[in-house]
Amino acid sequence: MNKILLLTLILISQVSYAEKSHDSHSNDGSHDMSKDKKIDGPEYKLNTKRYTDFIEDLSDVQIAIVDVKGMVCDFCARGITKTFYKDDTVIKVDVDLETGKIFIAYLKSKKINFEDIKEKITKNGQTAITMKITKL
Amino acid sequence: MGIKKLRNILVLLSLVFIISANVNARPISWPGGNTYMYKSDAIKTSKNYHYSPSYKYSVGVEFVNDKYFKEEYMNFRGTYLLDRKNTKKSQRNFYITGALSSNSSNNFFYGAHGDWETRRLFTSISYINKYTKLKNYTEKELQFGVAPYLGEYGDIHTWIMMKAKRNTMDNNWETYPFIKLFTGDYMLEIGNKNSHWDLHFMARF
Repeated sequence: MNKILLLTLILISQVSYAEKSHDSHSNDGSHDMSKDKKIDGPEYKLNTKRYTDFIEDLSDVQIAIVDVKGMVCDFCARGITKTFYKDDTVIKVDVDLETGKIFIAYLKSKKINFEDIKEKITKNGQTAITMKITKL
Repeated sequence: MGIKKLRNILVLLSLVFIISANVNARPISWPGGNTYMYKSDAIKTSKNYHYSPSYKYSVGVEFVNDKYFKEEYMNFRGTYLLDRKNTKKSQRNFYITGALSSNSSNNFFYGAHGDWETRRLFTSISYINKYTKLKNYTEKELQFGVAPYLGEYGDIHTWIMMKAKRNTMDNNWETYPFIKLFTGDYMLEIGNKNSHWDLHFMARF
């Protein structure tokens, strides 16, 4: 059993190394701030039903759709929604676990700052990669 | 394909399965988050509260009723996230943890815990050295599990898990299945080992 423990540790470290290599190629940390861009195309995959349900009762708002790494479980995302709801300019928040996206509906008057959003997500233990903004 | 090659592939697939996942009895909450935990098994019952000033560490207190040594005491506990790796489909964590007991300066523990999870799979490993007035021992634990379905945010999430535990007092590995359910800020874990129920409840607020 000690051998299994040792093998498990070795494999975890190998898997994590492989993930790191993959990420360094696929995510360079840059973000796309383009506004009013089509958000359900292949270039920005999201769960369309989840998003449609999210915007159903919303109007006259702007929505930040943030792509996040490390949001693999419901528990992981709980802190994120609680953090954003502390912001008075935030009307609604939802999480799409399937594609790793957060939807944040802001008042239209709010100047959305990706660095601010990124910092909030980092403080929660996840990593924000990109953001797109759309207006309703 | 030779028998040896087939055996090697099966061993590799088994290990990949063991390694490939992640569930959620996380020892640290979100920044400013509070956690209450109740655990009960054949050896002890404990009630644990901890506070997380940041996602990196938590501090708390645990009230323990030790059925094996027949004593009650408090543990002042701390857990620190040494390393985390986030990817789009997984998260890996390494924690160190430790506690000092209220009943004796010779009663304490320290150890490490690692986990790796995706939405579908979970695995974790922990190694704890325990020092008590009567005996010192080591606890090792492996867990792996699979989510039979992928729930959305806010759904009830279910994990079918296997746990393998060994402590150096009896030197036997015990392996048993359990089920883990969580929704919102609550988690419930139930297992049965040698006719004893293992119960673990957690609430975050």
